[in-house]
Amino acid sequence: MKVSIDEVKYIAKLSKLKFSDEEAAKFASEFEGILDNFQYLNELDLEIKEDIDKVELKPIVRKDEVKTFECTDLFRNVKDMQETYIKVPKIIE
Amino acid sequence: MKMNIEEMVSKIKTGELTSEALVQSYIEEILKTESTVNAFLTLTCDEALAKAKIIDEKIKAGESLGRLAGIPIAIKDNICTEGVNTTCASKMLEDFIPPYDATVIKKLLAEDAIIIGKTNMDEFAMGSSNENSAFKKTLNPRDTTRVPGGSSGGSAAAVAGKMAPVSLGSDTGGSIRQPAAFCGVVGLKPTYGLVSRFGLIAFGSSLDQIGPFSNSVEDSAYILNIISGTDELDSTSIRDLKEIDYTDSLKDGIKGMKIGVPEEFFGEGLDEEIKASVKNSLELLKELGAEVETFSLPIIKDGLAAYYIMSSAEASTNLARYDGIRYGYKTPNYTNLDELMENSRTEGFGTEVKRRIMMGTYALSSGYYDAYYNKADKFREKLRYDLKNTFKKYDLIVGPVSPILPFKIGEKNADPLAMYLADIYTINVNLAGNPAISIPSGTSKDGLPIGIQLMGDMLCEEKIFKAAYSLEQALALEL
Repeated sequence: MKVSIDEVKYIAKLSKLKFSDEEAAKFASEFEGILDNFQYLNELDLEIKEDIDKVELKPIVRKDEVKTFECTDLFRNVKDMQETYIKVPKIIE
Repeated sequence: MKMNIEEMVSKIKTGELTSEALVQSYIEEILKTESTVNAFLTLTCDEALAKAKIIDEKIKAGESLGRLAGIPIAIKDNICTEGVNTTCASKMLEDFIPPYDATVIKKLLAEDAIIIGKTNMDEFAMGSSNENSAFKKTLNPRDTTRVPGGSSGGSAAAVAGKMAPVSLGSDTGGSIRQPAAFCGVVGLKPTYGLVSRFGLIAFGSSLDQIGPFSNSVEDSAYILNIISGTDELDSTSIRDLKEIDYTDSLKDGIKGMKIGVPEEFFGEGLDEEIKASVKNSLELLKELGAEVETFSLPIIKDGLAAYYIMSSAEASTNLARYDGIRYGYKTPNYTNLDELMENSRTEGFGTEVKRRIMMGTYALSSGYYDAYYNKADKFREKLRYDLKNTFKKYDLIVGPVSPILPFKIGEKNADPLAMYLADIYTINVNLAGNPAISIPSGTSKDGLPIGIQLMGDMLCEEKIFKAAYSLEQALALEL
């Protein structure tokens, strides 16, 4: 399975990561190795011959109750703030 | 100190032992060992001693205390502890201080346990050697030229190095059981949904499960009593769990228990010394009255691709939250929003984490989704089905934990695939959701620990503990 450097760069864009050409080339060859090794998955017979009971798992949901946090705790890990707003770069010109 | 947790607690409660003396004895071990082993990322020794004194005073005043009164415990650094750094061993979360406790931490503290520190791990729990930590390399206390395993290597090393009597780790593909085997301690991965994941920093949400490291099977069962239970804050927590005392039936013996041994576990790639050690334990199980039978379970050798596709896909989604804005590492180098996110992620994540995000994004991208993710999901369904049928016939499945002995530091760094192959025996129960334990089964001729793995049907931890306890007593290893 051939993985191109362009393909790596496209996936990097989707992942919001940046790679140099050198890093992308290394990734491409590692990917090829890993994906080649995973090809056997396509040769396995994964059919389940009989009807199985599909158990419907209902997720647990918590009660819809307001929990108050102190703002100082809640925003403890924010790097840049103004009052109770998180600052980001300008997104509209 | 050769005492189990329950004995320590009872001595503390009767005043025969003080929590302060107990905590102090572990701090002394930390002072001796930690500078070489590097098991911890954060130590909270002063806070631990202060809390121990408070507990001793409460006992003197006649107050009734919990099931872990005065016991120090080490916590993997991907489990949130309010007010105490929780870094996931990543530059991304280097200064992250959680505003809340994980449910397991709440449960431990409610029983008056004392947190002694946060342990090192592979970054975001991705790795099998602890070499992927952004901060330090934990060494194996049994042989400091070797890795402790991973990803919960620090928690395993803390217990093996006698720096804590018990610790918590997390297991996504073997991250508790493999380091337990490498360090010669007991490690349990409970049934998916038995222990709350609330406050565990997510890697592969459908695979992650928190569990204990301990010196004995009895301690493992004792801790599971405390950390298990339905939690409405974890949407995949199992509903209406019955309260079980896992220590109750430990000593019942295993006469008539049916143990299946998949022949696929003993194929190519398994170290000869590990094979011999596991076979020796199987003989012992037979002598103890179990019916041990070899059978064929072909699917159990094929989980690797499905595991890496599934876990990487989930990781790529889970780790999308690290954007450099609300918390975590923020790059100084940006002029617009895209650059802020891209540069923060590129500078904040390590190589293996980026590799998994890339692999997961690839597997989920249009054009490849059916070939990889859907196929992996189908594999998972078939594995669950085959295991369900297997457990109609056998009480437990037994085999090795790792195909290889603890390896030298740096030995497997160059080839990610070689590292992934080390997880071949442990990933199956994560994909299927089943519980499994790793306990020491012996040592190699060079004295390196070897583990044996016992796997059970969903929520059959009691059977696993019973067999593991009987085997542990029969082996009577002095590690």
